[in-house]
Amino acid sequence: MATAKELSDFLEAVERRAFKQTAYAVRDDHAALDIVQDAMMKLATKYADKPLAELPMLFQRILQNTMRDYWRRQKVRNLWTTLLSSFGGSAEGGDERDPLETIDVEDDSDEPHAQLERSQTIKLIELAIQKLPARQREAFVLRYWEEMDVAETAKIMGCSDGSVKTHCSRAVHSLATELKKQGLDKLGITGSIAMSKSLKS
Amino acid sequence: MLNTHENHTNRMTAEFEDSVSDMNQPTDAELAHYVIDLLDDNAQHLTAVTAKRLSVARSLAVSQLASQQGLNHSGHVLARFGDQIERHRIMSTAIAVGAMLLAFYAAQHFGFNSNLEEGDAFLLASDLPPEAYADKGFDTWLVSKND
Repeated sequence: MATAKELSDFLEAVERRAFKQTAYAVRDDHAALDIVQDAMMKLATKYADKPLAELPMLFQRILQNTMRDYWRRQKVRNLWTTLLSSFGGSAEGGDERDPLETIDVEDDSDEPHAQLERSQTIKLIELAIQKLPARQREAFVLRYWEEMDVAETAKIMGCSDGSVKTHCSRAVHSLATELKKQGLDKLGITGSIAMSKSLKS
Repeated sequence: MLNTHENHTNRMTAEFEDSVSDMNQPTDAELAHYVIDLLDDNAQHLTAVTAKRLSVARSLAVSQLASQQGLNHSGHVLARFGDQIERHRIMSTAIAVGAMLLAFYAAQHFGFNSNLEEGDAFLLASDLPPEAYADKGFDTWLVSKND
C-alpha cells in the first residue's frame, strides 16, 4: 500500500509525461490537464491499497481509459454540434489541411540556429505523433516513452501482444516516413543520431 | 566489351554509394529513441502555468489519499471491535443466557416473597386468630360444624 509521500513522488515523476501524452491525444492542453487530474484522483481514490510497484501500470491504464471517456463525450458533443451547425450554414472546409503545413516557422534571428532547428524538429515530431492513429500512438508512447514491455502494454491497451507489436511497428514506420518526408538531414536528425551512435561506440 | 565493363563499374559504384547512404540513415528503432529523447526533454520544459496546475492536481490527489487513509484507520477501529465481538460470541451468548436465568430466578424469588406477604396480611386481617389455623383439630371441627 502506497503512502501519501510515495504517491506524491510517483505522480511528480510521471505527471509531465502524462500531460504531454494526453495533449498529443486530445490536442487540447486544458482538456489534457483535466484528464490528468481525473486520472490522479482515480488512482488515489480507488487504487490506494495497491503496492507501489503496480502504480505505473495502473496509472497508465486509468489515463488511457479517461482519454477514451473524453473521446466518447467529444463524439456525442460533436454529433450535436454537426447537427445544429447543418442548420446554421456550411463549414469552412479546413479539416483536410495537413497540420504539418500550418507550422509557424519562428524567424527569430537572435535565437541560436541550433535551438531554432531543435524547436522546429520538436514541433514536427509532435504534429507527426498527433497525426498517428490513436492505437498506434498509444502503443508507441507506452512501449518507447513509458518503457513498458509488450505484455504490460497489451494489458493496458486490452489487446494481444501481437497487436501491440504491429501497432508499434506501424507507428514507428509512420513517424519515420513522416519525418523523412520533411527531410531528416534538413531537420538535423540524421546528424544527431549518427553523432550519438558514434559516442556510444 | 569495354562498354559492358564500364556499365558494370558504374553499377557497382552506384550500389556502393547507396549502401553508404543507407548506413547513414537511422533505423526505425534509432529514430524512435531519438524522438522519445526529444519528447522527454520537451516535457521537462512546460510552461509555469501548466506545471503549477499539475502540482495542484497532484496535491489534491495526495490529500484525497490522506483523508481516505484517515477514514480507513477509524474503520479499522470499528472492525477490531467487531472482531472482538465475533471472537467472544460463545461467551457473549453464555453471559446473555445466565443473565436471563438470573432475572427469572429473581422474578420467581420476589414473587414467592410477595405471596408470603399476602398470606400474612390475610391471616392478620381475618376474624379468626392465627392460632386457629395452626390447630390440628380446627379443620375437623369446621367440617363437622358445616355438616
